[in-house]
Amino acid sequence: MKSTWRMIRDTLTIARRDFTAIVATPTFLLFLFAPVLMFGFGAIGGMGGAMVGKNADAKQRIYAVLGSDEARDFTATDIRLRDLFGEKSTPPELITLAPEADPAKQARTLLDQEDHDVPAVLYGPLEHPTILKRNAESSSASYLAEVAEQTARARAGGFDRPLTHPDFVRIAREGSSIGGTSATGVFAVTILFVLTLMLSGQTVGTMAEERSNKVIEILAASVRLESVFLGKLIGMFGVAMVFIAFWGGLAGLMTAFLPGEAFAKADEMRPVIGIIPFAILFLVYFTMAYLLLGAVFLGVGAQASTPREIQMLSLPITIFQMAMLGLASASVALPDQTVSLIARVFPFSSPFAMLGYAAREAAIWPHVLALGWQLLWVALSIALGARFFRIGVLKSAGAKPRWRRKRDAEIAETSV
Amino acid sequence: MVQELALEAHGLVKKFGGKRVVQGIDLAVPKGAIYGVLGPNGAGKTTTLRMLLGIIEPDEGHRTLLGNDSPREISDEVGYLPEERGLYPGMKCKDAIAFMGALRGLDWKTGRARAVELMTAAGLGHAPDMKIRKLSKGMAQLVQLLGSVVHRPRFIVLDEPFSGLDPVNQERLEALILGERDRGATILFSTHIMAHAERLCDRLCVIADGQRRFEGTVADARALLPMKVFYEPHHEGADIAATLPGDAVREADGWRFTLPEEGIEQLLVRLIEAGHGISGLSIERPGLHDAFVQIVGRKAAEEMA
Repeated sequence: MKSTWRMIRDTLTIARRDFTAIVATPTFLLFLFAPVLMFGFGAIGGMGGAMVGKNADAKQRIYAVLGSDEARDFTATDIRLRDLFGEKSTPPELITLAPEADPAKQARTLLDQEDHDVPAVLYGPLEHPTILKRNAESSSASYLAEVAEQTARARAGGFDRPLTHPDFVRIAREGSSIGGTSATGVFAVTILFVLTLMLSGQTVGTMAEERSNKVIEILAASVRLESVFLGKLIGMFGVAMVFIAFWGGLAGLMTAFLPGEAFAKADEMRPVIGIIPFAILFLVYFTMAYLLLGAVFLGVGAQASTPREIQMLSLPITIFQMAMLGLASASVALPDQTVSLIARVFPFSSPFAMLGYAAREAAIWPHVLALGWQLLWVALSIALGARFFRIGVLKSAGAKPRWRRKRDAEIAETSV
Repeated sequence: MVQELALEAHGLVKKFGGKRVVQGIDLAVPKGAIYGVLGPNGAGKTTTLRMLLGIIEPDEGHRTLLGNDSPREISDEVGYLPEERGLYPGMKCKDAIAFMGALRGLDWKTGRARAVELMTAAGLGHAPDMKIRKLSKGMAQLVQLLGSVVHRPRFIVLDEPFSGLDPVNQERLEALILGERDRGATILFSTHIMAHAERLCDRLCVIADGQRRFEGTVADARALLPMKVFYEPHHEGADIAATLPGDAVREADGWRFTLPEEGIEQLLVRLIEAGHGISGLSIERPGLHDAFVQIVGRKAAEEMA
């Protein structure tokens, strides 16, 4: 009991030192606002891409060469049908023109215009129009054909307005849709992975500070190495939580200013286990993923004696994390396959896979089991990291058990 | 009367890569004593100290620190200044000292308060809020030393505490060690500066090639060598060398030789009768340095110097 209390005390002392040493520096601000750079570059790239796409779309037109009556009805049908398309898949702007002496030649000239891209041109009588198109699978040509069909039908029946007036009634889904739970799983696992990728890899170089400034000798003389490792891990986890709290809080604030439609898709994403338990599990599994991967990276990084060696380690670490993501993603995509079970049982992919599991299954007890299993592996990883450090860096075996100390004392006594 | 021991070690052995760097060392440090561990470079001093503290485990042998056979379990009672000094450069001095105290179970608030007291007493009263990176090497070393005693340990281990310190700071450190001893702590330190060992140590041991070559008081060490005589004749005749003992060597205006076993009186009578007279005479007790050279061998001693 006394040694447990002491281990907690020592661990918290190390964690406190590491946490304050990192958070109370200008470098931490750079770390905290790093996503601004990431989002900034992403936004600039995205805006550039969108502009290119939008400009390309804006430069597209489709033409209908028709008499004035037909052109008026054709335009009315176009306006009605255009509403069926979303903003991103709306057909190019339609322009109607009166036929000239040779409509075929006129249509061909329009198709070859150089100041705009013209994917399709319609001319001739509505009942039997000719549609010129650039591509074999031209959706613009199909659209012109459909507008012609609907216009011709309306004109043949003498209709100048829609015949039906449907009432739209929305019935919200009470449970979770299969697609929704799957999307929730993929989304949550991806977010968990990105957070872990960004934050847990930082533990790899934490022992380097103590090795380079020789403080490790003080720590090794004062507290158990396991406490040093766990304390450092907790200190870094505290830093990660500050990061998450900051950006999570900011994201929460931003959602307050978003219009309701922005959450239309999010409504579909309902974990089977329930939103609040899922959110709690997300935090718990983030903790476990961080501690598990962080403990491994800390242990591996502690063996490195130079910054270059630490830098070299970043590639295998990223590959390892990618492998865990791959396993967890396979688990979400193929929930009934063996790979899903493997991903949930393998300790380092388990937090990711179990989060995906929480999206599609309501049972709680597998999570209790999984958390116990993962905690065991956190402890094992820390113990192994400390042991390898003791052997590889301090050149010493661990403390002898009591029976060996007693035996050594007896041997020493008899030799005296 | 049996002296109570703060530290007891028997047959400590440590191998690195198959090489035995410590070969069965025995130590017995009385409670409340200042105990010196002397030895040339590579003798195994630091490895021995690290084994005594439980930083590394001995491959063979047994040690008991403050009555406990697992030094790690009583590390709160121990203070340690390692040979390779280490502090976090970004920390304030008082925080660095408090941190070292916190590692040994002292709460941060008390640690900070004591840090300021200790720094003031050690002549660093202006520096508690200074960052470690702003300190000179000697000041940083002193701060680390204060960190190793801030929790008022019962047993203090200092590995080469004087190296790198200027004479003023060496004097401060000596005062600090004596102050800790007066408080009741037992102090074990390694050094290669004989003057400090001579002034401070109640007992000492000399280690060479991983083995203990000597254990005892400073007086015991010095007693290993005979006393020396420096004689200056009044009228030095040509036959003076024949009158003096065989080991006499010329030095400046006089002669140096080992004090004869029968004493100095008969020799003086002979010198006066031979007409050499006495201009000056001194009988010198050999220093610890000479004793050390005698124990470890001149070559090893020269390497250390």
